[in-house]
Amino acid sequence: MHIGVLRRDGRTDPFFDGTAAGRLVVRRCATCDRWLAPDASACPGCGDEDPGWAEASGEATLVTWTIVHRPEEPPACLALVELAEGPWLHARLDGVDRDDLREGLPLRAAFVHPDEGESYVLFRPAAPWTECRSVV
Amino acid sequence: MNAAIVGLGMTELGKVYGRSPRRLAADAVRLAAADAGLAPGDLDGLLVSHGMGGSPGIELADTLGLRDLRLLAQIDAFGATAGAMVSYAAMSVLSGSASTVACVFADAPLKPERPSGSAYDRDAREWYGFGGMTAALGLRSVNSYYALAAQRHMARYGTTGEQLGAIAVSTRDWASRNPLAQMRDPITLDDHQNSRWVSEPLHLLDCCLVSNGAIAVIVTGADRARDLARPPVHLWGWGQGHPGHRKERGSDFGLTTGAAASGAAAMKMAGITVSDVDVCELYDCYTYTVLVSLEDYGFCAKGEGGAFAASGALGPGGSLPTNTGGGQLSAYYMWGMTPLSEAVIQARGDGGERQAPSTGVILVSGNGGILDHHSTLVVSPHAKGA
Repeated sequence: MHIGVLRRDGRTDPFFDGTAAGRLVVRRCATCDRWLAPDASACPGCGDEDPGWAEASGEATLVTWTIVHRPEEPPACLALVELAEGPWLHARLDGVDRDDLREGLPLRAAFVHPDEGESYVLFRPAAPWTECRSVV
Repeated sequence: MNAAIVGLGMTELGKVYGRSPRRLAADAVRLAAADAGLAPGDLDGLLVSHGMGGSPGIELADTLGLRDLRLLAQIDAFGATAGAMVSYAAMSVLSGSASTVACVFADAPLKPERPSGSAYDRDAREWYGFGGMTAALGLRSVNSYYALAAQRHMARYGTTGEQLGAIAVSTRDWASRNPLAQMRDPITLDDHQNSRWVSEPLHLLDCCLVSNGAIAVIVTGADRARDLARPPVHLWGWGQGHPGHRKERGSDFGLTTGAAASGAAAMKMAGITVSDVDVCELYDCYTYTVLVSLEDYGFCAKGEGGAFAASGALGPGGSLPTNTGGGQLSAYYMWGMTPLSEAVIQARGDGGERQAPSTGVILVSGNGGILDHHSTLVVSPHAKGA
């Protein structure tokens, strides 16, 4: 899977420190006791523009999906996933058979460590699956 | 007193090269003024909106040589802008803060020798931050975000790709009767199903065109409108809906949109219900957008938009003529000005081969972002309450 090279931008250090260590780190507003997506621009409860960070479980369920077709690339399954803590993430699925795609499909975060650029997170079916596809 | 649209100006639309968005906008305003029987100098208000290029802004007043304006602003609610602009123009007229207001949209995202889709797409070797990561992983186009919404509707309500295709087919049927449409060759459901995947469940023929050009309308008071060149198109009601879907558990993303609140507000102001609507001109960036808007407006129950579309109601001869000019899917993509311009043409009876049999009440929608913003207008050839 070739996605190009990921770089930090000043708002992403805790997130990419997390992916490098195989941990899913997202926003969590301590004031409002509320989990937020890592790209949340502010806490909708109190307006804090720099809510804190916390490690999420990495467990998620599938909300909806699309199979993206681009010239000269294999089709890719992109999705909205709902973290067990509540926030939604736009994410890429890996190792999922298209016939298994359904609302509520249990998923788990998986981390990829490319040679160049930041590590990133994909989501795979949480149930045991027989074919373990390699991630390149 | 009521407000009315009294002028419509449309430049050439589509693969129109060599004119900047500002030049296109100026041309459209001049055309709209001439259509109304006015000179540009008769305008005392100008509302400006733009597409992806970020131009024009309020400098358009200078380009047009307009002096002593009493209202001048750039308006941006993404695809909901046209309906919003017209409502602000109407409120300005009704309050007396301006008397004659031009509302214009212009964009020129198409470049010669570049595929049209690239105008709204992203590509890079290095990606920065969260937005970059999401794009790098494969969500690089608005098409894919709408595909996520459409897929959720399908999974929840059993909506099918063939039902989406019915909208593509009926819209093209209308376009085949519109000399202004970019895509006029009729298509079948098989053509839709066999068109290439863009982002499943959306085929190429589920997606709108990309167009260069500009469209303007002129809004004034109904009393003044009587003395102008063309029959007025009366503004009966307007509304907006910005649901603020949060990306978290419990979100209705893809299932319901701002059309629900926007439509209810506009129809209440107009004093009508959906059963009074003769024609719909709906923002159709995707076939799915039409389907979910019809549900949210109440033309059918939630989840039944697919069956409603497949019933033939939306095409020529159907019970609810919808996107009678071919919409953004087949005619031209001028954001919210696409449905608004066709509503004006229909209300005036200028639809030629595509003229709807009854146009007493026309509902016009706008939709922006990823179903984040919605606007509605209710317009009529008749004065409200007449």
